[in-house]
Amino acid sequence: MELLNRLMALQHRHGALTDESLNALAREWRLPLHRLQGLRSFYPAFRSEPGAPRKLSVCRDVACRMRAGPRFADEVAEALQGVGGVEVEAVSCLGLCHAAPAALAGELPVSGGAGMLRDGMAGDRPLPLVAEPPAETSAVDPYAGADQRFGTLERALSEGSPEAVIETLEASGLRGMGGAGFPTGRKWRFTRAAGGTPRTVVCNADESEPGTFKDRLLLERVPHLIIEAMVLGGWVIGASRGIIYLRHEYEPARRALEEAVERARERGVLGDSVLGSGFAFDLEIFVSPGGYIMGEETALLEGLEDKRGEPRNKPPFPTQVGYDGGPTLMNNVETFALIPRILQDGVEGWQARGREGFSGVKFLSVSGDVAAPGVYCVPAGMPITEVIERAGGMAGGRALYAFSPGGASTPFLPADRAGTPVDFDALARAGSGLGSGALFVVGQGRDLLDLAIQQVRFFSRESCGKCVPCRTGSAQAVRKLEAAQEGRPEAGLTRLLEELDETLAQTSICGLGQVALAPVMSLLRHFPDEAARLRAEEA
Amino acid sequence: MSDSVSVTIDGRSVTVPAGTSLWDAARELGIDIPVLCHSPRMRPVGVCRMCVVDTGARNLQAACVRPCEEGMEVRTDSDRVVRNRRMLLELLMADYPDPSAREASTGDDELLALARAYGVTSSRFEGSRTPEAPRRDASSPVIAVDHQACILCDRCIRGCNELQHNHVMTRSGKGATTRIAFDLDVPMGESTCVSCGECQAVCPTGALTNRALEGLHLVEEETP
Repeated sequence: MELLNRLMALQHRHGALTDESLNALAREWRLPLHRLQGLRSFYPAFRSEPGAPRKLSVCRDVACRMRAGPRFADEVAEALQGVGGVEVEAVSCLGLCHAAPAALAGELPVSGGAGMLRDGMAGDRPLPLVAEPPAETSAVDPYAGADQRFGTLERALSEGSPEAVIETLEASGLRGMGGAGFPTGRKWRFTRAAGGTPRTVVCNADESEPGTFKDRLLLERVPHLIIEAMVLGGWVIGASRGIIYLRHEYEPARRALEEAVERARERGVLGDSVLGSGFAFDLEIFVSPGGYIMGEETALLEGLEDKRGEPRNKPPFPTQVGYDGGPTLMNNVETFALIPRILQDGVEGWQARGREGFSGVKFLSVSGDVAAPGVYCVPAGMPITEVIERAGGMAGGRALYAFSPGGASTPFLPADRAGTPVDFDALARAGSGLGSGALFVVGQGRDLLDLAIQQVRFFSRESCGKCVPCRTGSAQAVRKLEAAQEGRPEAGLTRLLEELDETLAQTSICGLGQVALAPVMSLLRHFPDEAARLRAEEA
Repeated sequence: MSDSVSVTIDGRSVTVPAGTSLWDAARELGIDIPVLCHSPRMRPVGVCRMCVVDTGARNLQAACVRPCEEGMEVRTDSDRVVRNRRMLLELLMADYPDPSAREASTGDDELLALARAYGVTSSRFEGSRTPEAPRRDASSPVIAVDHQACILCDRCIRGCNELQHNHVMTRSGKGATTRIAFDLDVPMGESTCVSCGECQAVCPTGALTNRALEGLHLVEEETP
């Protein structure tokens, strides 16, 4: 963290990591130059030459692309030609999908057409700032007032036991909400049982799956729940250090977190003796130098260790060998945020929040063709159709055509499967997955093939390049798909895609490469019209 | 944890110290698992994925980095393993220059040897190089660099930094545009390289070759 923090500070101060500044740093810290080059060239927050004084980062991913078209970033750049001191850059999903098309003007979230963005950047009109979306984040806050916060932790420390906490989490059925869905109680048990030091609790707040913005709102609005669960995690696994790994585009979340950490310290929730228990725990916020891959848990650990964020070969898993070689308890923002509520509810109370045999609640980031995109807290087991109704129903009079229930890595499903309940297993059986809970809704008349190719392009662009299948295979797939989209599908393309998909899934080191073709493969399975556009023999 | 574990590889059992990789265990049995990135002299990194084997898990496992587990049953040559290795070779061959500087001089190009062994004579993929990407670096008097022949196996980087402790080489960039680089990405001849030759000696392809051997052409012997 020390080196990347220093590089981030240099980047902010000089607008670049120039050769001159890196040569000086190498001498000062006695580091080989290649190490600094490896980092400078890997992380998107770094650049070698300063750019224009102001930057407009325009989202190019699905929710924004569907609203504003595939050329939106180019159109914005064209509109801003002649406006001095502004640089336009196309970037991956910013977690502002409710306000599509969205961009960041420096750190400020903005939304609107090319003309509005141009006028805002030129100073002719106010910047079109993003309005906050509907967000049912308070639904999981068990505390009516600020003075009652951390009550769950206090009770556990005085009356409970680490074993009891683990048993409750196991019985609750809580699973990891970052996308993988690993049972949370089991992860806590493994980490507690693992030997070795240092022991660390990490909150994965590097949310960047296209269409996902629930964690951003939880971080901004209920940071105290995340802090409380991290301290509890530290107590359960015997760790005194917590790290929140935060996406660098989430500046408002960083401010909210810092303030919450400061208040927790004042309350004695963090420090040498947590709430007078004698157990010491403190936490720090680490701002990522960028890149979707950093949300992969072992890439994240490499980043914390000041390396290029390339996922590790597993096993060993972070529960055994994580940060700095010791056992690491890593959970997603939402997973942590749900824990105080679960412990307050008890197992039966939590289960009763779900529907018909499904347990608890789930946050969904709903975007695309719905009238009120936002973050919704729904009972587990609610059918997708009802979630769409909750988000205001279909927008613009369109009928539902397709949906992806959990982010770019979860395959598209046709409208006739929208009765599927919100649940990891039920959605997997339906041919997709709950993933990160990013429900992306596509109405009739949209170009689903274009959107699916954009998802594959996203994975290819965000590939770290470590292993052969992902680095070369995802880029080759994009090239062939683009040719097909232009009306030139090559003979045998769908067979080649099937074979390539198998190799990516079977041999890639991490989840990114394993799912890189999933969005397009789901079209071959469920959408005959789009599939036909990929088949030369039928064209 | 017990000190040794027993695994079955292609139907044959072997007992090895706990922590041994599947690749090393297979070697005990005289079973060769193909590799491009691994070398027994180096820390395994598992990036080329050629050594994938079937352990019955959901995904194939890279044998060079996968520790043996008690009772594991491993296939190193199933249809699934072979066809996925073939696809990896097809992807690598799409960008590979012809002729290979290594094959043309010392004749020990490991990528071409594997492609021949797996019958990969052509690729359904096109070369992905963009014109602006740097290709050749002839600035070093000793070592020739051809980025187009580089498969990013990281052998040169480990050789330079971990075996020789010269600390000159890195991966630079990210994703499809990743390549090897020297110091702050300067030409090799202007870097702190001391021309020890380790990188070109461990390179499995024509990416790093000894310039003294350039233009040397092996005469193929007729085998009786």
